[in-house]
Amino acid sequence: MKRTHLAAALAVVLTLAACSTKAGDSGSSGSDSSGVKTGKGVTATEVTLGVMTDKSGVFKNLGLGVTQGNELWAKDFNAAGGACGRQVKLEEVDHGYKADTAKTLYPQIEPKVLGFVQLLGSPVVAALKQNLATDKAVAAPASWSSELLDNPYVMIVGTTYDVEMIDGLAYLQEQGLIKDGDTIGHVYIDGEYGKNGLRGSQFYAKKHNLTVKEVKITSTDSDLTNVVTGLKGAGVKAIALTTTPAQTGSAVAANKALGLNVPVLGNNPTFDPALLKSPAAGALDKLTVVASSVPFSADLPKAKDVAAKYKAAYKETPNGGVPYGYAVGEVWGAVLKKACDNKDLTRDGIAAALKQTTSVSTDDLVAALDFSKPGTPATRQVYAATPDATAEGGVRYVKPLFEAPEAKEYVAPHQK
Amino acid sequence: MNTFLQLVVNGLGKGAVFALLALGFVIIFKATEVVNFAHGSLVLFGGYLVVVTRDALGWVGASLVGIVSAGVLGLLVERLLLSRSRHADANSLALLTIGVDVMVTEEIVRRLGVTLPFLGGAWDAKPFQLGGITLFRTHLVALGVAAVLITAFWLAFKYSNWGVAMRAQAENREAAALMGIRSSRVTATAWLVAGLLAGVAVLFIATQDFSGAGLSRGTHSIALAAFPAAILGGLDSTAGAVVGGLVVGLVEALSAQYVSFDFSKSAVFLVMLVVLVVRPSGLFGTRERTRV
Amino acid sequence: MSDSAVSEVDTLPETAEPARPRRDPAKLVRTAAWLALLVVLLALPLYLDAAWLKAGQYMMIGAVGAIGLTLVVGQAGQLSLAHAFFLLAGGTAYTVLSGPTGDDRVIGFGLDPGLSLLGAVAVAALLGLAFAPVAGRLRGIYLGVASLALVFLGLYFGQSAEELTGGTSTGRTPAPFSLFGFPFTNDGPQLALLGVPIRAAERMWYLFLLLTVIAFVIARGAAGGRVGRSWRAVRDNEAAAAVMGVSVLRAKAGAFAVSSAYGGLAGAMTVLWFDILKPDESEFGTYGINVSIAFLAMVIIGGLGSVPGALVGALIVNGLPQVLALYSADLGWFSGTGDGALTPVLVSSFVYGAAIILVVLFEPGGLAAIGRRITQRRFRRQPPEEP
Repeated sequence: MKRTHLAAALAVVLTLAACSTKAGDSGSSGSDSSGVKTGKGVTATEVTLGVMTDKSGVFKNLGLGVTQGNELWAKDFNAAGGACGRQVKLEEVDHGYKADTAKTLYPQIEPKVLGFVQLLGSPVVAALKQNLATDKAVAAPASWSSELLDNPYVMIVGTTYDVEMIDGLAYLQEQGLIKDGDTIGHVYIDGEYGKNGLRGSQFYAKKHNLTVKEVKITSTDSDLTNVVTGLKGAGVKAIALTTTPAQTGSAVAANKALGLNVPVLGNNPTFDPALLKSPAAGALDKLTVVASSVPFSADLPKAKDVAAKYKAAYKETPNGGVPYGYAVGEVWGAVLKKACDNKDLTRDGIAAALKQTTSVSTDDLVAALDFSKPGTPATRQVYAATPDATAEGGVRYVKPLFEAPEAKEYVAPHQK
Repeated sequence: MNTFLQLVVNGLGKGAVFALLALGFVIIFKATEVVNFAHGSLVLFGGYLVVVTRDALGWVGASLVGIVSAGVLGLLVERLLLSRSRHADANSLALLTIGVDVMVTEEIVRRLGVTLPFLGGAWDAKPFQLGGITLFRTHLVALGVAAVLITAFWLAFKYSNWGVAMRAQAENREAAALMGIRSSRVTATAWLVAGLLAGVAVLFIATQDFSGAGLSRGTHSIALAAFPAAILGGLDSTAGAVVGGLVVGLVEALSAQYVSFDFSKSAVFLVMLVVLVVRPSGLFGTRERTRV
Repeated sequence: MSDSAVSEVDTLPETAEPARPRRDPAKLVRTAAWLALLVVLLALPLYLDAAWLKAGQYMMIGAVGAIGLTLVVGQAGQLSLAHAFFLLAGGTAYTVLSGPTGDDRVIGFGLDPGLSLLGAVAVAALLGLAFAPVAGRLRGIYLGVASLALVFLGLYFGQSAEELTGGTSTGRTPAPFSLFGFPFTNDGPQLALLGVPIRAAERMWYLFLLLTVIAFVIARGAAGGRVGRSWRAVRDNEAAAAVMGVSVLRAKAGAFAVSSAYGGLAGAMTVLWFDILKPDESEFGTYGINVSIAFLAMVIIGGLGSVPGALVGALIVNGLPQVLALYSADLGWFSGTGDGALTPVLVSSFVYGAAIILVVLFEPGGLAAIGRRITQRRFRRQPPEEP
């Protein structure tokens, strides 16, 4: 008995010895014939960009939309010739919005890509922050928190939640819905997202002598009736939301049900077209959403072009993630082209090119972006929009791209 | 003062639903001494059947289907799994219900996808004002239904054959068996009734008024409140379950306002912990005595 | 139940043979098997890529936590759903103790990471001791649900005490681990074993392996010794145990302290694995009740009280979703994106949910009991052991 077990153990050890170890696996680097330095994720014919998205978890609709936007961009970019004569290839993995899955999948995808065109989910981004810095991989997270800007490898396409909130409050004041000295409520999710939005409303409040009644919730809380009851008791003249769409629905419904009926302002992720079919639909007229990327249905030429291409290629119901994913692609395209001009398609080259990108145009899908000042949001302009069941994508905008003077003065947390 | 009254009204309304859940939970415990960790999945299952049959049968029909299916699921769990366990120690069976909960919940959440169907009746999202306080119809209906069901259950428990049988079994299983009470029938009915109550509860939980959200993983988390409610009242006390449910609803509403919103979830458990430290078997539970 | 405890009870002297214990061949084979496993585990970083090493490290975190939980639930009979709380406590303690002193956002004590790790274990053990009086008053399922309260309360405090944990919004980065100055990252002396560079992933693998082995050996020792016997006595019949002179309260307190110490260690390993400490959701986050339930599942599947069983349970519950995710990325499984798609997490949840049901229905002793039965059949010459 002993002998057979020893024999088995020996066999295992021998097999292991026979299999080759991974010694000698080296990275790919060097330069090509035209003198362009290449690194991970770059071959003679292709540049690979990573997509770590949610295809199966709670944000799969958004993830799908953004991914499809990325794919549409890649197709167009390649048709126009690509970068340095190379075509863009997208390597997609699904982490299901779980930080631990993302953490394990990351080492699998990282060696294959030059950078990331999509990194969805703030828990995922938080978990991978260190890794991105260590591996010097530029990534475009689908998260707009200015807290992320302390990492020079993070590329936020659009403005951040705090600036959105400032612009939005300025819009409400401009419309005469709030005035100096009022009390407003701000319901926010405890986390990167919510705290960042709160920072914006606190800044604006100080400038205009507003009192902010802050209510912290978690992302799984679904019933905000008690919260709105409390806000009503405090006499708020407006409610700001940095919440999930479901929570937005509960808040606007309570706003109407309790007879409060004040204007409600939400950051860009607070709205989802599905709300128009929920019992809260009748209360959505009080909601204004601010975002730096256009709604799917915007009647801008590029947005229409993307919408048409989308409908030709995919059959799912579109959402705002599509034009956003396309816009991120366009920014990557500009960075790739610049890196090509600098003859450096390595990770360092991309980071350097990003810093040199002072003005990227996405044909108004997103406001003009400037990545040259680390720690600062790339733009401070937003659209203001309101839910509209008749519009494709569920919103129509009520004020095109604008930037409030308070937003210009605002200093983001990592701004130098 | 208005805010306080409003919160009390909100709290009692939700408390009535928690009472229904806790009652089902306690019925199972009294009959079998098993803590049913799968209660949340009974709730989800009933809700899911409502969603699936709603288009074909309309709200009333679908709701009946939902209630009955939740009851049937409870029955099946008892008949197919619990009674088959040869090593029928109550703690192990409780752990088995964890396994059931994981599987049923994941499957239903998978099928729901990202849809969040609301299950409320025509009275949902149509609140009305009464002297400065908003009354949510769903809460009122829930209070009414809960009152009726709890009274019916109490009467059955006291006077019907089944009630007597169940009380006898809870008191002394062997003696009850010797008296001709079919233990399997009692436990099966207990699970059936608990499932039915869960199926009723979900019609109120997955509404705009109650939870602001439709049927989703969040519904399961809300059903989790049945635990502190039942424990607080005493796991083998049906009166305790009702009291516990109302207490949980009130604590949640009041702490959300007067302490902070994110404390309210922990507040419920904290209150439960305090009660347990003072009375280790809950407010109305029977104290366990060990005889040497 | 522990094998070695049983073996001490029913060894009778054989008249024909000299005083050689009967179980010698079995024990030798078992030890040889464990050693062989250790050799394989030591060699794996030479063959596996960083992604697989990462998955393996995650399984080891599960193993450490599960060993602790099986001691308190299986050996001492105390149902604890608070394991996630001790993970959070350990992770926070490690990060705070080893954190930089000069940061104005969060508190840090700047201690050596090795000391901080010990400190984290100690802090978690103390918290477990603090809960023990409450645990002492409660029985069975009441204890289980009360321990659930700890998870909620812990997360609430963790989220509020931002100077310690960095808050839910950003969290904080823990100090990278180093032992006597040797860093477990890509820096420091460039080592190579058989031509394979030993960098961060490999170093962390060895660190976690060392911690798991230590955890395993200590647990086996405790379960097989006096401490284990007193726990089992309390589990089986408190009154009888008290009569026999076992201090029930001390046994329970000890069990809680030990299991929370393990939980704390697993928590410190967790923040090292994630490179971040972030107290997030209470119901499906890194320190939520879903984690407590996962650990309980590991312990049930492995067999209540069995330390080796806890390892296998951890492999299944923590390992399966990781392995499936990695394979699916390679093989293109689970690529459906529509509503109702199967995902690695979903499939793993089904598997361990079903495993729990099957174990309770057919073999409450879990995989450990199944393993014992198999080894019994191999040694049919000897009379079967009592399970």
